Amino acid sequence: MSEVFARVASRAIAAGLGAVMLVACGGGTSGGGGGSSTDVTVWSAWGGQELKAFQNVLKPFEEKEGIKVHLTTVRDANQLAINVDAGTSLPDIAPGPSVDKVKDWIDKGVMKPIETALGDKFNDYIANTYPALTTASGDNLYIAVVGGKHYELMVKTQVKGLIWYNKKVFTAAPPKTFDDLLAIQPPAGAKLFCAGFESGDASGWPASDQIDNIIMRQSGEKVYTDWINGKQKWTSPEIKLGYQTFLKEVSSANVYGGPNTALSTNFGRAGKPLFASTPGCLFLEQATFITNFFKEDYPNLVAGTDFDFFAHPSLNSQYDGNVNGFYDNFAMYNDTPAARKLMQYMATSDAQQIWVNAGGTLGAIKSLNYTDPIFKRAAEVAGTAKNLLVTAGDFMPSDMQHAFWKSLLNVTKNPASLDSELARLDQVQAAAYKTS
Amino acid sequence: MDQIITAVIAIVGVPLVLLGYIIFGEQIIERLPDSLQGWIRPYFWALPAIGFAGIFMVYPLIRTVILSFRNNADTRWVAWDNYVYFFTFPDTLTSLRNSLLWLVFYTFFSVFLGLVIAILLDRVRYESLAKIAIFLPVPISAVAASIIWKFMFDYQAPGSPQTGTLNALVGAFGQQPVPWLVNSATNNPALIFVGIWSITGFCMVIISASLKAISTEVLEAARIDGANEFQIVQLIVTPLLWPTITVVGTTMIVNALKIFDIPYVMTSGAYDTDVIATQMFRQLATSHNARAAAVGVVLFLAIVPLLVVNIRRFQQQEEQR
Repeated sequence: MSEVFARVASRAIAAGLGAVMLVACGGGTSGGGGGSSTDVTVWSAWGGQELKAFQNVLKPFEEKEGIKVHLTTVRDANQLAINVDAGTSLPDIAPGPSVDKVKDWIDKGVMKPIETALGDKFNDYIANTYPALTTASGDNLYIAVVGGKHYELMVKTQVKGLIWYNKKVFTAAPPKTFDDLLAIQPPAGAKLFCAGFESGDASGWPASDQIDNIIMRQSGEKVYTDWINGKQKWTSPEIKLGYQTFLKEVSSANVYGGPNTALSTNFGRAGKPLFASTPGCLFLEQATFITNFFKEDYPNLVAGTDFDFFAHPSLNSQYDGNVNGFYDNFAMYNDTPAARKLMQYMATSDAQQIWVNAGGTLGAIKSLNYTDPIFKRAAEVAGTAKNLLVTAGDFMPSDMQHAFWKSLLNVTKNPASLDSELARLDQVQAAAYKTS
Repeated sequence: MDQIITAVIAIVGVPLVLLGYIIFGEQIIERLPDSLQGWIRPYFWALPAIGFAGIFMVYPLIRTVILSFRNNADTRWVAWDNYVYFFTFPDTLTSLRNSLLWLVFYTFFSVFLGLVIAILLDRVRYESLAKIAIFLPVPISAVAASIIWKFMFDYQAPGSPQTGTLNALVGAFGQQPVPWLVNSATNNPALIFVGIWSITGFCMVIISASLKAISTEVLEAARIDGANEFQIVQLIVTPLLWPTITVVGTTMIVNALKIFDIPYVMTSGAYDTDVIATQMFRQLATSHNARAAAVGVVLFLAIVPLLVVNIRRFQQQEEQR
């Protein structure tokens, strides 16, 4: 959910409503604990429901351990980096930095290993947490595993690329492969897919989620990560194949109302035809948050009874373990007794269960109890993941991301423009990754 | 709490400081010799205004121009790189083309329609009512107007009920719905139309006021000389209105070049609808400050000559009075 919030927030700022930024300005600084065993300072970017959930997580810890948690909401993701560069005080615990800074901060000793923080409880943490969040072959900066050590404690996760359907309309078994999916015959008058790519200034992101899920399962995690990092050309066969596969999902033959409808429909309303009296489509690909929109349009729908989802079908069995998702983590910046205690606490299922009970998210621990059937199923998807791969656009330079989204809109509208769009993306890529 | 204190300081403190500056300054000036007083007083009074203009307008302008020749981190000179980017990259060229479309069609139609409506309504009894109707869109914020029209241009899958007014109309004639804002042939005209819709009333009111100032005797004389109504409009009214039309026209050109809200809200520049101002915003939003500065300078240079024309006009009018 935080991703959606982030988008909404960035749009709000873009629209000139600086309110969110004002909050950040009021953040102020909080001093380090200085080896304290009674106080711990924590930064998080959460607000609203998510903040409340976190406060609820912290409450039992404060009561039981007698440690005071000084929690500050810092919306500006750069604030931590500013403090690190300036050498001013850091919070004891805060989320890890953006991927490009992870290596540097570990080398400088800014982030302390989770092995140190958890001590003898580290092995339990590894055993309990989804493997995709903690295991890497070699270094993985996304989950901050470097030199065999871990630097980010995973606390929450989400999976994306889920294929939603109306249980009264689609009653067959979920397709195993993408070709099986395309071969399904929709009932008369309906198309295979629904889609909605309109989202104001961020239009195109739902399409980017779809192509992300294709590329990571079609060409593997290496190509996918290289592509994010600007080391894989857009005109390369792998990315082009991804676009071509994506175009099958939005062709006039397969998408509800044709490409123009997909382009004109807001992402939140995309699922409406699933539940129409004569269904307009069979499937909609989206993350778990979409159920809120389903219930907005049709308040009587019940999750698990009226609608459900299946995991993204396979494109290349070699890469079936690649799942699109995101995660929330905490890193320890000051090694104090109180900070260690809090890190140990957040790695327990007691703590994460409180998060999960607040709704809207999965924990990082495999064996939590979910009352919502949707999240129960999403947890199964997370459990099967070998690599939980981030959403590509979010980790590209922002002009690359914007050009990426725009290209998806353009090829949806005019598939014949694919080659020229990819060539243009190469042009943007050549400039966007340069640090000047 | 901090913010409230800051706000109070700003609202109460700044005027107090200015007042103190004037009172104490005057006391000092009064003690000076008379000849010096007369010389120094105007500068003394103008200094705060010049200071504010300097800090908040001239300095940012100079910084923007400088930044447009530097790299993004502002550490190195890059000569014309940012401008080369602007004039060679396909996306920015499209925005340049679109701004040109806005400049021509938005300006022409808003002024032309404003003129025609003003002249026509001058001759009917229900003038004020009709004027109110035409003027109504003007006070609506451009963002709200864009949202209204986004609904008007709404597109639903062919075969399902069309919630957009225009497509409902198209459907009533048995035609397929048109994706107005997606289709490249219709999206720019649609956006420009919204701009014209929201500003024509403004042009009409200004032109109409100037129309009322034309003495009826001139028109009577022309009629007695046998001129028909078309000739009166063509040969007498329009030339007399020309100074007003120029001022309104240049204002509309400046508006057209600066247009941002309508494309931003309705399409966010997707499907080749970006204009210069949205392009500048896009560069800023993607952390390309230097490029954004270059776009800003181009926009500024395009507008300056028009401002000069406008100010000259005002001066001429002042002199005539």
